[in-house]
Amino acid sequence: MKLNKNGVTWEMEKGKKQSKLKRIMAKRGMGQVITVTIGLVALVIVFGFLNPYFLTGRNISNLLRQIAPTLLTGIGQSYVLITGNIDLSIGSVVGMSCMISATLMTKGVNPWVAVIITYLAALFMGLLNGKLISKAKLPAFIATLGTMTIARGIAQIVNNNYNTDSIGEAAEGFMEFFYYGKTLGLFNTIWITMFIWLIFNFLLSRTRTGRHLYAVGSNIHASHLSGVNISSTITKAYMVSAFCSATVGLITTATSGMGTMDAGNGYELYAVAASVIGGVSTLGGQGILLGTVIGASIWGVLQNGLQFAGAPVAIRNIVIGIIVIITVLLDILVRLNKKAGKAKTGAEKSHFPVLKHKF
Amino acid sequence: MGNYIVELENISKSFPGVKALDQVSFTLKSGEVLGLLGENGAGKSTLMKILSGVYIKDGGSMEIFGKKVDFLTPVTAQKMGIAIINQELNLCDHLTVAQNIFLGRELITNGILSDKHMNAEAHKILEKFQIDINPETVVGDLPVSKKQLVEIAKALSTDAKILIMDEPTSALTSKEINNLFAIIKRLKAQGCGIVYISHRLEELQYIVDRVMILRDGKYITTMDFKATTLSEIISYMVGREITEKFPRVEEKVGEEIFEVRNLNAGRMVRNISFSLYKGEILGIAGLMGAGRTETTRAIFGADPKESGQIFIDGEEVRIRRPMDAIKAGLVLVPEDRAKNGLCTKLSVKENITLPNLDIIASKLGLVNRKKEEKITETSIKNFDIKLANAEVLADSLSGGNQQKVIVSKWLARNSKVIMFDEPTRGIDVASKVEIYQIMNDLKSKGIGVLFVSSELPEILGISDRILVMADGKITKELDVKDATQDLILEYATKFDKKLDSRQEAIEA
Repeated sequence: MKLNKNGVTWEMEKGKKQSKLKRIMAKRGMGQVITVTIGLVALVIVFGFLNPYFLTGRNISNLLRQIAPTLLTGIGQSYVLITGNIDLSIGSVVGMSCMISATLMTKGVNPWVAVIITYLAALFMGLLNGKLISKAKLPAFIATLGTMTIARGIAQIVNNNYNTDSIGEAAEGFMEFFYYGKTLGLFNTIWITMFIWLIFNFLLSRTRTGRHLYAVGSNIHASHLSGVNISSTITKAYMVSAFCSATVGLITTATSGMGTMDAGNGYELYAVAASVIGGVSTLGGQGILLGTVIGASIWGVLQNGLQFAGAPVAIRNIVIGIIVIITVLLDILVRLNKKAGKAKTGAEKSHFPVLKHKF
Repeated sequence: MGNYIVELENISKSFPGVKALDQVSFTLKSGEVLGLLGENGAGKSTLMKILSGVYIKDGGSMEIFGKKVDFLTPVTAQKMGIAIINQELNLCDHLTVAQNIFLGRELITNGILSDKHMNAEAHKILEKFQIDINPETVVGDLPVSKKQLVEIAKALSTDAKILIMDEPTSALTSKEINNLFAIIKRLKAQGCGIVYISHRLEELQYIVDRVMILRDGKYITTMDFKATTLSEIISYMVGREITEKFPRVEEKVGEEIFEVRNLNAGRMVRNISFSLYKGEILGIAGLMGAGRTETTRAIFGADPKESGQIFIDGEEVRIRRPMDAIKAGLVLVPEDRAKNGLCTKLSVKENITLPNLDIIASKLGLVNRKKEEKITETSIKNFDIKLANAEVLADSLSGGNQQKVIVSKWLARNSKVIMFDEPTRGIDVASKVEIYQIMNDLKSKGIGVLFVSSELPEILGISDRILVMADGKITKELDVKDATQDLILEYATKFDKKLDSRQEAIEA
């Protein structure tokens, strides 16, 4: 009889039904999600003590709405990161979507038609990203750096290098739908975000395409030889990212009631931060969208909470930067510990590509 | 024996600058195991990659199950019943065993992945082939030999009728190899055609019916295995008779040049002590996982040591990182060439000069190009490295030539002790002999040679003294005159009593 790594034989394990909790815990990447969730709870408690207003229903509702854009772009970025790539064009596609939708609305186009055109334009950028990377074999960093600049240029050119005027009364319904309206006591933005999260979480965890996203990120060569369509898988990830960015662009338009050319500036990196804090590996193959929710929440809570605590923007930036580095560092340390533990109990070599040597 | 299920005729394939296959014809019958043999670079893998749809042929015709096939992709090949077990492991480390087995053909109910179903199916497949792995284990957590088994299970799970195995046993233990051979025999009885590629010629006798030999991308011959001998096969592979497989040079043993005293580094390196004298090659034998690689890495300073002393020429040297060892004249030719030995994306010249930049560069750090050229030229000439010019990328060379580049980079700087860790793994017979000769040369020049190998014949054929390791400890020191394969194996299986529930490797 041979022991597996948990010290239980496979037969025994199969014999007794695993408890539900154990199953959830065994899920890939769940470890880090739980760690950062504890961190998130701690942050909320600390900020609640520092400023009683922080935990009021009103602020929480606002806070959730603040988190929404980071979470949405985080979902897109997580998809792309899981395939082992990166999307630098997210922020610019947000700006482009914001400017295209607002310009069309100020020109008298029906807001919902404008919404559809915006989505199509953004999806085209996603398609372009995907094809440049998977077909033309451009490095993701370079390809999306290019489309980032192009999308920003489009944002500037659609209204002749000016921010738009107010999108006006005709767009009232649009603004209600994307930002100001409430359904069942929660802002619509939050509902939209939850809805999108549910869909993409389902697609990632339960469908063939989702599995292929992980496979491509884990070992592109093996995936190819197993008959996975690499090009289509990578393209899908970028289109999801573009879709999420477009949604954030529309929310931005609804928020300010106008189009601003530099909307979304820097969002791609906030999205990376949200993903990485939540346990998505920038090397691909690893991470779950639940983590991205927690990552985006930590980001939002820090922004909101530090603001309440009276910290200037500069301090907020520094704190958040440190948090990003520490979470990833913690993850590496945990993995090293696991590896060391394994080495002591004997048997197998670990194959994590983590460098343990001092240089 | 059945009909031809694969008939390839006059297949050609060129890569930039190389003609990998030149008018090669190939047949496979149902119910046979065909050993496809040849030196590295002979074109075996290329031919099989064409048959499995990874590469597209330049010319020639293919008939599979009597059907003419012109254009094959990995997916269509799989659908036609062709499965390939690749030499390099092709698994997704982040996915579970079951997810890997079903990658690309996931089981789905109503558009949703059915992991339950896949786990159960994977379990059935693994059980059928007596592979003891939990299908829900993440592949990245498995040791190499288990990964290899997953790779095999994955290929078998497709119910393939044509199975291509490229060095399937390189990472397996003897028990697992026996298991694999049983599986192969069963598949053969079911009428599958199996192509078996291996450098371990001794393995062939257990399974192979027919052998086909390629050399330099050309078809050489096909023979019934029963009607031939290993030495005949080897002579066809290399195109000349190898009379002396292990060239031995006798030298007078001189003074001690290297000593390790009570070295400890983790569970795999425990209380290691030995000395190395001028004019001898010290072999370290043992099974996979005996701690030999760990020992060389700890000595070299690549992994941290817990305790122990190292002496070179009688003087103690402190080695905390590889740089200390290199400066002291102690160097390592590591186990995994591509991963630890070479910067594959750099040129041969850059690889040779990388550890020698301290000699080549001026005090300000400026690289002296003339010196660089000279060192490279000398190294290439001394070691007879075959290449177009020194600017080609290191990964474009064959395994044997890559190995020579690694050795030559260390000899460019007057090293005193060289540790070779499995220097002949995965390289062809002729290159192996060249590596042995290099070691003999070093021995004659008075450079200390430490030689780690899993292959008993070469350990016995080349070393003057043999240390046997098991479970991170030296279990025996043998003079080569007294050593036999049986004796080495006996000491290599001396495990700690506590750990004998562990199934250990016994190399076939």
